[in-house]
Amino acid sequence: MDWLEDELRRALARQDPPDGFAERVLARSARGASGARRWLAAAAMVVVAAGAGGAWRQHQGNEAKQEVMLALRLASAPVHRIQSEVRGMTQ
Amino acid sequence: MKSLLVACLAALPLLAAPQQFHLNLDSVAAKASEHVDVSLNASTLQFAAKFLDASDPDEAKVKKLIAGIEGIYVRHFEFKSAGAWSQADLEPIRAQLRGPEWSKIVGVTSSEDGENAEVWLRTAGNKSVGVAIIATEPKEMTVVNIAGTIDLEALSELGGHFGVPKVKPPDKPQKEE
Amino acid sequence: MLIGAVETGCDFRVLVRQHQAMVFSIALHFLRDRATSEEVAQEVFFSLHRNLHQIESPAHAAAWLRKVAVQRAIDEGRRRSRRPQVALEDVAEPAAGGKPGDPLLSDLLRKLVATLPEAPRMVMVLRYQEDLEPAEIAAALEMPVATVKSHLQRSLAMLRGKLARRGIGESGWTG
Repeated sequence: MDWLEDELRRALARQDPPDGFAERVLARSARGASGARRWLAAAAMVVVAAGAGGAWRQHQGNEAKQEVMLALRLASAPVHRIQSEVRGMTQ
Repeated sequence: MKSLLVACLAALPLLAAPQQFHLNLDSVAAKASEHVDVSLNASTLQFAAKFLDASDPDEAKVKKLIAGIEGIYVRHFEFKSAGAWSQADLEPIRAQLRGPEWSKIVGVTSSEDGENAEVWLRTAGNKSVGVAIIATEPKEMTVVNIAGTIDLEALSELGGHFGVPKVKPPDKPQKEE
Repeated sequence: MLIGAVETGCDFRVLVRQHQAMVFSIALHFLRDRATSEEVAQEVFFSLHRNLHQIESPAHAAAWLRKVAVQRAIDEGRRRSRRPQVALEDVAEPAAGGKPGDPLLSDLLRKLVATLPEAPRMVMVLRYQEDLEPAEIAAALEMPVATVKSHLQRSLAMLRGKLARRGIGESGWTG
């Protein structure tokens, strides 16, 4: 076994996160989830009150949102590539 | 009735989105194995913005980014093999970008990978009013027009890993934890 | 029919505890900043929580977490947009002659890896922290296998050169 690769495995071995990491993640996720459930319940009431028209609008909105995300994903990749190249040249 | 219809159709370009150059790439589409065509005008962007979740980090960035944009027009093509498209296919676009209102602000070329990316800025007076992006790889081509005010730095940051990746379940057993 | 966490074996709490070291370490070895790495690791798990319905099995969860951790670490690195510039003179030297497992050598190697450009740096982390084969690294980073191998070769050569200039090499090792 190559000595350097051995040392790299030692150097880059996994380390535990700071104490309490899992508890913090679980606590925040639970708060986020309960907030989302309250939001969903409220949103469900609005949808029921607005009737089918409201649900269709929600669907259209989500479709529009996906189109925006797709467009920006396609536009951002080359700009990011340019910036990375320029940064690489100036570093 | 017919004359009214013709008049309405003639009026459409005036009502249509403020695309700043014609993305006339039908000849490229004919050669592509996959083709994405997105045209979003100001009202569509404003509508979509209402559905962007400010508590999601990626969507919050997008919401902020599109605040000053009046339109986004994207044509993206993928090809089965290298050599399917040529620089001549981009000439209709480049010819429009040679106009006095456009100037190329940056471009990078990688001869190793055959990748090229360039950004053009459209100005009116001293104000930036739009951006054109042309990006090519041997098997891909993307042309973008963004009308309005855009933060290119913020746009570049989105080009990292934007959203959640699609990860297929692995075929083989994973390493023991 | 919706399949629940119990049926897929994907209890979120279990997944956090099982994979927290992997996720945190990918960020840490890439970014070299514990506080930022913890924030990145938390974001990765929040993302998992929002997308748990997509996860089909524990193995899928592990692969998903690894890929998202890689991407978020890279994104955070770009936001900070600097590579740590480590002057070797500032780094404590391992004991002369060195022994396998010298903690100062490990520290030096971590710092040298952190000075690599983004792509080879993450390749090295995935190879030597996660023990991934080049094909697996290529899939995780969406780059050609040949590029992964090239990054590994050049990075190892760079590390050997820098260590040799400090008098650290294979001949210095015992055992």
